[in-house]
Amino acid sequence: MLMPPFELHRPGTVEEAIALAASLMNAGESFDWVAGGTDVLPNYKWRINPKPHVISLAGVEGAHTLTSSEIGCMVPLSSLTVANGAHPLLAEAAAKVASSLIRKSATVGGNLCLDTRCFWYNQGEDWRRSIDWCHKADCGTGADCRVIPNQNTLCVATYQGDLAPNFMVLGASVVLIGPGGERTLPLEEFYALDGMKKNVLEEGEFLLKVVLPETAHQRTGSYQKLRVRDSWDFPEAGIAASWIEGQPESLAIASTALESIPRLHAEEVSNVLGEEGMDGVALAKAIHKAVKPVNNTALPPRYRRSMVKTLTKRAVKALLGE
Amino acid sequence: MGSYKQQPGASSSEVRKDGKRVAGKQSFPPPGSGGSNPTMRPRDLDFIPETVGGKEPKPAGDHIHDRARTGTSVGKSMPLVDSNAKVTGQAWYGDDVRLPGELIGKILRSPHHYARIKSIDTSKVEALPGVVAVATGQDAPNRFGVLPVTKDEHAMAVEKVRHVGDLVACVAAVDEATAIEALALFEIEWEELEPVFDPKEGLEDHDEPIHWRGKYHLARTNVQKRVFQEFGDRSLVNNPHAASHGSWTMSGVHHGFTEPHAVVAHWGPNGRLQLYTPQQVPHYTHRALSTVLDVPMHQINVIRTFVGGGFGGKSDPFPHEMCAAILARKSGKPVRITFDREEVYWINRGRHPSHIDVKMTADDEGRISSFDIDALIDGGGFASFGHVTSYYNGVLATAPYELGSFHYTGARVWTNKPASGAMRGHGAVNTRCAVEVGLDEMAESMQVDPIDLRLANLLPPHSRTISGFRITSNGMREALERVREGSSWDEKFRQMPLGKGIGIGCGFFISGSGLPIHWDPKNFPHATVHIQVDMDGGVTVHTGAADIGQGSTTAVAQVVSEVLALPVEMIHVRSHESDTSPVDLGSYSSRVTFMNANAAIRAAIEIRDQLLKAAWQMLGYHPNVLVLNDRRIYYKHDPAIGVSYLEALHKAQEDTGALIARGAYRSPPMGGVHKGAAAGLAPAYSFSAYVAEVDVDVETGLVSCTNVWAAHDCGKALNPLAVKGQIIGSCHMGLGQVLSEKMVYGRTGHLQNANLLEYKIPSVHEMPHVEAIIVESSDPEGPFGAKEAGEGPLLPILPAVVNAVYDAIGIRLRDLPLTPDVVYAGIEKHLKKEGIEDPLDLASPRLEHGPLQSTLKVRSDAHRERDRRRQRSEDTSAYVNGVLFGFDPNRPLAEQVEGWREADEPLPEQLAELGFAGRAWLKKEQRHMGGDL
Repeated sequence: MLMPPFELHRPGTVEEAIALAASLMNAGESFDWVAGGTDVLPNYKWRINPKPHVISLAGVEGAHTLTSSEIGCMVPLSSLTVANGAHPLLAEAAAKVASSLIRKSATVGGNLCLDTRCFWYNQGEDWRRSIDWCHKADCGTGADCRVIPNQNTLCVATYQGDLAPNFMVLGASVVLIGPGGERTLPLEEFYALDGMKKNVLEEGEFLLKVVLPETAHQRTGSYQKLRVRDSWDFPEAGIAASWIEGQPESLAIASTALESIPRLHAEEVSNVLGEEGMDGVALAKAIHKAVKPVNNTALPPRYRRSMVKTLTKRAVKALLGE
Repeated sequence: MGSYKQQPGASSSEVRKDGKRVAGKQSFPPPGSGGSNPTMRPRDLDFIPETVGGKEPKPAGDHIHDRARTGTSVGKSMPLVDSNAKVTGQAWYGDDVRLPGELIGKILRSPHHYARIKSIDTSKVEALPGVVAVATGQDAPNRFGVLPVTKDEHAMAVEKVRHVGDLVACVAAVDEATAIEALALFEIEWEELEPVFDPKEGLEDHDEPIHWRGKYHLARTNVQKRVFQEFGDRSLVNNPHAASHGSWTMSGVHHGFTEPHAVVAHWGPNGRLQLYTPQQVPHYTHRALSTVLDVPMHQINVIRTFVGGGFGGKSDPFPHEMCAAILARKSGKPVRITFDREEVYWINRGRHPSHIDVKMTADDEGRISSFDIDALIDGGGFASFGHVTSYYNGVLATAPYELGSFHYTGARVWTNKPASGAMRGHGAVNTRCAVEVGLDEMAESMQVDPIDLRLANLLPPHSRTISGFRITSNGMREALERVREGSSWDEKFRQMPLGKGIGIGCGFFISGSGLPIHWDPKNFPHATVHIQVDMDGGVTVHTGAADIGQGSTTAVAQVVSEVLALPVEMIHVRSHESDTSPVDLGSYSSRVTFMNANAAIRAAIEIRDQLLKAAWQMLGYHPNVLVLNDRRIYYKHDPAIGVSYLEALHKAQEDTGALIARGAYRSPPMGGVHKGAAAGLAPAYSFSAYVAEVDVDVETGLVSCTNVWAAHDCGKALNPLAVKGQIIGSCHMGLGQVLSEKMVYGRTGHLQNANLLEYKIPSVHEMPHVEAIIVESSDPEGPFGAKEAGEGPLLPILPAVVNAVYDAIGIRLRDLPLTPDVVYAGIEKHLKKEGIEDPLDLASPRLEHGPLQSTLKVRSDAHRERDRRRQRSEDTSAYVNGVLFGFDPNRPLAEQVEGWREADEPLPEQLAELGFAGRAWLKKEQRHMGGDL
């Protein structure tokens, strides 16, 4: 499989990176950011939206920071260990991503900005030609969505990152930086409900780091990942939960791999807590009701949705130490 | 075995007088220095059969090859002889072949499921700078195919494309980027046709059948092959004591080998074609190239590269091989084509997606009175091995059990999908799973242990199946008994808590297909081996046997080393080139070790006899009293009286030069005379029994297999390490099929997971502990008693797991693979039926033995003794399927049983009750319709 040609840019600082992006934008050239490359580059080989320029964040100063409260975008998943000061929940989730080999290259920033996935989309060029392309990679044809036909407005590709729901339940924020300056958002506000747009990053902007609040370290958590194989596979459904032990009102639950974005289920959780307390079954039902997977990953959506109940129940059980 | 290794620089002058080793050097003398040299190793009596004076036990009695044993290599675990090449990265696979000035070939593939090509305009492609050659179907209109009866493939589509990914045209360019760019410049006018995806639809008439077979075409359907077979007394089916009926849907699976297909073609300066390809069947490629290119076979040299896994997926001559040859001929330069993974799935040849229906009955003595099998298999766009697969799905279920009657209807249909073909366990796997699960279910309704049900219904050694297959050695009983004991079956079965289960499954497979498919079996051998020994004493073995990683080269080296009593390092196997290798039919149907090693033994014995004759002349002792051991030939009663191997060799070479010998193998005449009698016929059969233990998560439906006890009767393990490797590898592959692997065709008929992320081959985490148990029944015709170990071991793992899942949760599941959604759907359905809310409240099945249990016990005890006597040839009386039902094996059964029938066509009154595949018999061939003649 041949990598399509692109020009690789390697800025050494955040300022250089932004300046580079700005100059490419001014020149009307499109580009991608790349961190570990384990998501972007396979897609390029499949000729899924390859760009002529790629800006690597690998050499950017400060992108490798790893402290208990700040994690740079370039930190490889294999470094997210308790020994390195990472939160145990993050260590657990990171260890469940892909395979040990991929975790050496794959990064925190890349995982959070993971492209959404769909079996009509993650295919080689010949394959996609045989279905006349799809909305997300239409090759200029204006092709329809293949998952939900007759609506070529929305892409329903699934976000299948493992880290996002875990960061969410720890109350993490992300620091974005671009030509327009720096901004900090709670992670749950980072994602945009569209498989193509994916998140709120503006052109030329990138995710520099993740910041955890002080309270994160009082929290314990659990991540339940549904997958067919204990290696390689993206989650088919994932539920993360955390709380400050003994304080039900601190409970946070987030889901992934069920829709185009990972979601923090603050409203569902607070409703259940208000009415039934920290009841695993009630929480499971509420979250089950809130998510609507579609048929575009390995396992059928009806099953994945059913599993939300089991995974939520198990996550809550784990918090309660049952 | 302390093997001989010549270290660089080691010489006798460096041998220390105190007998200790020189650091970094080995003190072995050069080969054959021999004489009275004290470094000769003593004979390894542990590996010389007791029948010829050694200590190796021979419970099945003597074997014709016992006298050729020298205790050198056979039966010893050793790494494969090509393993160093592989682990050091020096093995050259298809894509490693780089010839100077090579061009890169790329294939244009069909974006349509089914379409007619109205025109192809290549002018823009040809005009692109860097493009050197372009070819389309018009360049090679001759058909080819692996089986002579179903040649239905072209190098590239001639008239129609038959599936997405079918080959349309190809281009050779100076580099890959140019070739890819060129593919976009073909201008093609298509006429799309109505595709067929569902094999059930393939049974119906269609405006435009995918292929047309002229007067033999079945109406206007897409049926490629239909089979009907019936043996025995069908009245036994009525009023059974117990019965089981299961309808199965099995997804198609792919071999998932590591190396994608790759080929390099080059026409040499004298106009001969050299084609480098990782092939299981280089000889068939050789033939097909000759046909397609219109070039005589002697002007083609097929070079088999190292093969990065085959499993049946590289056992067809392939269109891309033709494309490379055509492009190379047009361009005058070497052309290399390497597939992307997606292309590997599009050429496919994986296991057929199947609908299988199995009914069975038992009588009040716990005898199996009938098997009724209906198999509708989805062949995809081409025939490949499908003609044979259509038979195998039925006939390979006629053993290891003795049956009252057997009824099979099978049909293979063309659909607009990548072609199915042969895959490890060819044709036998899916039906075997359905049959073994059926037995489990029937045992449950009879309130007996499923292992005892099997033990009381086994065919003995040296018997005939209901369909006329000749069973020779048979280690089925021992395999069952050993897994029962190893797994502590009697303490676990139907006794474990919810979510934990244990299950049994057996297997039966051919060891070589009895008839060579391309020529007259009465005249030509299946395998030929040449051996050449020159002055240096090294033994060069020429064989066409294709080592695809299974170790056929090692097997040949081992048997030659054994006969000549030479270290295996002195045997050099040359098997890559058709120019130098005698014809071997290829690595399929688990034939290579059995047939090729038999040929090699014959050739080696001829060389040995020449050496013994020379030693006789030198020593004055007759060969009968001479012993070969560790590069020496000496008088049996006084090892000091002897000559070295080299001395004897040089004596034998006087006047004649290098010793040259050849050996060949041809299977004996056997089998019945009915239509299709040759399908499934083999000179020997392997048997296996597995017990699998599983954990089922009832809240998610995830199944994990934790332990497997895997007993396989391979006759004689020439190399136990390699046999265990095959058993463990088979478990891995079979577990994939039963738990996670599946070629997914979506609602639009597209293959949705043509990549290794979404085609879910089990990872190391999913791999259970496998206790490989080798059973050695010593086959009378196998090389040193050996039978196959490459495919048969895959069969039992599927039913063992499915039965274990039932033991764990009490639910019969018949959709493979048992992905978590399938299992969970089964659980949900069951909960609803039982009115249970929480899956954790499910009841595990339990067994209370009924009265038949003791009947079966008594019978299996008696049969154990019967089998022992027959295996040792203490009892050589005839035994045919039916003796268990009280028939005389020496008289035709049709004379003894009213209603006994042997048929290859249904009776008119049967037509109404045939299964899915059987419906193919409602249609007539064109020649009987007054149609297309």
